[in-house]
This record gives sequence, structure tokens and C-alpha cells, in this order.
Amino acid sequence: MALFPLTSNFEGDFVLQLVAVDTDNTMDEVASAAAHHSVNRRVADRPGHGLRVRRQGVKEPFPRTLKVGESGLHPMECIEVIWEAPASPR
Amino acid sequence: MATLQRMDWYDIARTTNWTPKYVQEDELFPPELSGTMGIPLEKWESYDEPFKQSYPEYVKVQREKDAGAYSVKAALERSKIYETADPGWISVLKAHYGAIAREEYHASQSEARMARFGKAPGQRNMATLGMMDEIRHGQIQLFFPHEHVSKDRQFDWAHKAMDTNEWAAIAARHMFDDIFAARNATEIGLMLTFAFETGFTNMQFLGLAADAAEAGDWTFSSLISSIQTDESRHAQIGGPLIPILVANGKKAEAQKLIDIALWRSWKLFSVLTGPIMDYYTPLEDRKQSFKEFMHEWIVTQFERALVDVGLERPWYWDQLLDEIEWQHHGMHIGVWFWRPTVWWNPAAGASPEERAWLEEKYPGWNATFGTVWDVITENVVKGDMAQTYPETLPVICNMCQLPVNATPGPAWRVRDVPHMHEGRLYHFCSEGCKWVFEQEPSRYEGHLTLVDRFLAGHIQPMDLGGALKYMGLAPGEIGDDAHNYAWAHAAHAERLKKAS
Repeated sequence: MALFPLTSNFEGDFVLQLVAVDTDNTMDEVASAAAHHSVNRRVADRPGHGLRVRRQGVKEPFPRTLKVGESGLHPMECIEVIWEAPASPR
Repeated sequence: MATLQRMDWYDIARTTNWTPKYVQEDELFPPELSGTMGIPLEKWESYDEPFKQSYPEYVKVQREKDAGAYSVKAALERSKIYETADPGWISVLKAHYGAIAREEYHASQSEARMARFGKAPGQRNMATLGMMDEIRHGQIQLFFPHEHVSKDRQFDWAHKAMDTNEWAAIAARHMFDDIFAARNATEIGLMLTFAFETGFTNMQFLGLAADAAEAGDWTFSSLISSIQTDESRHAQIGGPLIPILVANGKKAEAQKLIDIALWRSWKLFSVLTGPIMDYYTPLEDRKQSFKEFMHEWIVTQFERALVDVGLERPWYWDQLLDEIEWQHHGMHIGVWFWRPTVWWNPAAGASPEERAWLEEKYPGWNATFGTVWDVITENVVKGDMAQTYPETLPVICNMCQLPVNATPGPAWRVRDVPHMHEGRLYHFCSEGCKWVFEQEPSRYEGHLTLVDRFLAGHIQPMDLGGALKYMGLAPGEIGDDAHNYAWAHAAHAERLKKAS
């Protein structure tokens, strides 16, 4: 369990942002932390949609329950947080 | 007594090279300061400056310029421009003075380096005048805003900005240090005068002078027009160096230095001049869009200047043309959203009329950048102001020191350009910034962005208050919306009208 900074690239937003998570956080929790800094600030919410996390440049998202510490991500590596339809609650 | 015409004696008077007898040539002109790439002294004597001026002529003309600008200021001091001008225009003045005034003074030291260490006699002569130009520009752009300091502490940032760790000041310092403060005489000639001044100073000074006149700010208009006449002279120092470098097999070196400086200048102008022209300047006073200025002054004129001296368009030309379409819109959102972290009050420029103008000048603006302003507008109208502020930091480019940003909305194209170097992960906003880094990693690798500093624990406490303290922003200085959010209510009403 350790603080782990990531670079968040949230779908539809205009800027990369620093997001502090924990190595024990799941990818769903990472998506939620990233959404806090984008959704309803500069990106309109999409009710019913879920959010997935993927490495920049990789099409397949990480499994939703995968922990940050087990993902192979580097500190400050850029993740893309993308909308997913149909609904998967976040 | 009859006196000779200037051109009858100028060439002889400025032929000031000599054959050193007591020291070696490299001791007289140390390569690390002269930057002469092994080209011997006599080769530099073919340097021929296009704008020739003698010292007495210089003093006479400069005295008249100063008298003109200062007399306009004195005559208009009671015109109450501060009280009557649009708040967006006041923000233009604050942003300009803070980013430019002290760096002008800084540039005088680089002109002095050319005046001493340039191997070309003509370069030394022109740089002597350029050095005095830049001292004048530093002084006049500190003196003019000073009359407003007692009314508004943000004007104090004309003097203060460059002594702080405010993010825009870091970005400006990083770029200016790179293209002139930490460069040799040849590099300064190419990077400061040829690339930055020929390419971009026209944007800031000619463009702003036109907008200032439209806005009725004759003091600022005459001030920057006065400065521009100096710039147009000393910007010509670099050009005559290029044929010498090309003729002596150093074309690739000259091209690279100019390509670095032009890219770095572009990024700074995208955050400074872009928002000023397309968002802060009152709509009715805008002469041209930032994009139109860029195409006229950079794309067309600078490209011609490059070809004239035997160089090529930079490798990133197509990327530059692409960025001209969108980069400054994202920079503007960044400045506005993180507005407590700047020394001016950003004007949103997102009223219905302004949005219509943006859509006309940048087709597709409403469907991209407009989507961000839609969300912000609704939050303002709902009174949910907390949502109009950030709770984290933007990730900063390790070269330009500006937020990594691009087009939002359905056409979302924001991307990190990562680069691993000696075990450290660097983030760049573009291939251009990454390329600059790769040209000389040892020059840039030790620098920490504001985010790097935050993560390293330099900013305490690790919250907005700690960040503002780190940046030197005191209460009364931090930025807020220039128009007290009136534009948002107007935009909301317009949307309701359309929906009904």
C-alpha cells in the first residue's frame, strides 16, 4: 500500500492531469478518481455509462478489479480513462 | 566643417577586427562564448548588416522615440484607461508586462554577449545598439505599468513575475534562458534575433499595437509601437550570420538552432498571445484572429525569410500548421480553469457573441472546445463554483513547461508524448518538444516541472494554498474571472432562448 501518482487522460477532456491513487486501488477506483477531476468540471456526465482504464496506445482496457500495484504501470505513466456503454456502474 | 555622409565612412569605422598579437584567437573569442564553430576570424568579416546606423544617429532617434512614448503617457494619465477600459483589456496589459518586461532587460545581457564575443564586426556594432534597445524596453515596460500598482497589485507583477515560481513565469524563463540567456553569440543571433524576434515579436508587438489602438489605449499602443521599431532593427542581427555559416559547411547547425528556437517560441506564444488575441481583447476591438496573425506573420513571412537565407522549413512545419488551429484554445482553458495561479484575471471570452466569432474563425470550435465551456457555463449558472475550479495539477510538458493539452469533446485528441531517459519518465506535449529535448538531453534533463516539484515535496502543504504560496501569489494578486462571470449567464440565456 503506497501512494502512486498517475497521469490521467480523460476521454473528452482537454488536458492531462495528475491523479494520486494507491497501489491497492482497483482500476475502477482509479477511473473514479480520474473522473472526479474531469466529469462535471469540463466533461459532461454520461448517465448509464461506465468507465474503463487503459494504457495509452493500448486498445484493451485493464480488468476492472486489477490493482494498480499489479498492473505494471510506472509512476506518472499516462492512462486513458474511457467511457463504456452499456452501463457498468462506477 | 563639412561632414562625410554615413555611408562614406561606416564600413571603415566598423571594421574593428584585428590580428591578436599577445593572445590566441580562441582566447580573444572563446568558442564557448563566441560560438563560431571553428570558422576563423576573417570569414566573419563578410557579415553585412542590412540596417546600418551610427551611434549619433541611434541616440538622436532613440531620444525622439522615448520623448514620443513618454509624452503620450503624460498626456493621457488623466484619461482613466484603467477605470474605463474593458477588464479583458486590463488583463492583456498585466499578462504582457509580467511576461515581457524583465525578459527584455535580460535580453540586453545577451545582446551584450554578442557585442563582445561576436566575431563579425557588424554583428558587434548592431548588438551594441540592440543592448541599449533592450535596456530601454525593460525600463519603459516597468515604468508604464507602475502608475497602476497603487490601484491594482496585479500590475506589480510586471516587476515581480520573473522572481517567482509562478508556472507561467517558469515557462517563460525556461524558454528565454534556453534561446538567449544560456547561449553563445552565434546562437543568440540565430535563436533570439532571427527566430524569436523576426518570427514572433511581430506577433506580440504589431498585433497588440493594432488591438490597443482599437481599444482606445493610446498609451500602450504608442509604447509597443515604439519598441517594435527597435525590434525591427535589431532582429536583423541574425540573418547575415546564416550565409556565413552555410558557406562554411554549418547549414545543418544553423537550421537546428533556428528550428529549436522557433518551436519553443511557438509554444510560449500559444499560451501568451493566443488567449490575449482571441479571448481577452474585447470582441469589437479584435483586428484579426490569432490564427490569421500567425498565418500572415509566421507562416508566410517567416517561411520566406528562411528561404531567402538558404535554409529550409523546419521538419515540424505541418505539425505547426496543425497546432495553429487548436493549441491556444486549450492553453486558454487551462489558464482560465487554473485562474487562481496567474497574476491577471483571465477573460473567458465565451459569451454568445464571442462564441459565434470563435466558430466563424475556427469552424468546429463549438463542438470541441465549446463543449468544455458548456459544462463550465452550467456550473456557473447553477452557482456550483467549486466545480469551476481544479483540485489537482495539470501535467506539465518537460520542455515548454506548459500543460499538456489538445482538442477536447468528441474529437478528443489529447495525448502524452512520453520519453524514458536514464531511468526518468519525461512527459512532452508534442513531438516538437520531445525533439528539442533529444537534441541535447544534458541541457534539459535536470529541470523539474512544477508537477515534478510537487511530487518531490517542494510544495508544502500539498494543496492549493501551498501551491499559491510556492508561486508567490498573495491575496489580492491571484486571478479570477475578468468579467465576474457575466458571460456565463448570457450564454445560458441564449441557450434557453434557442431551446424554447
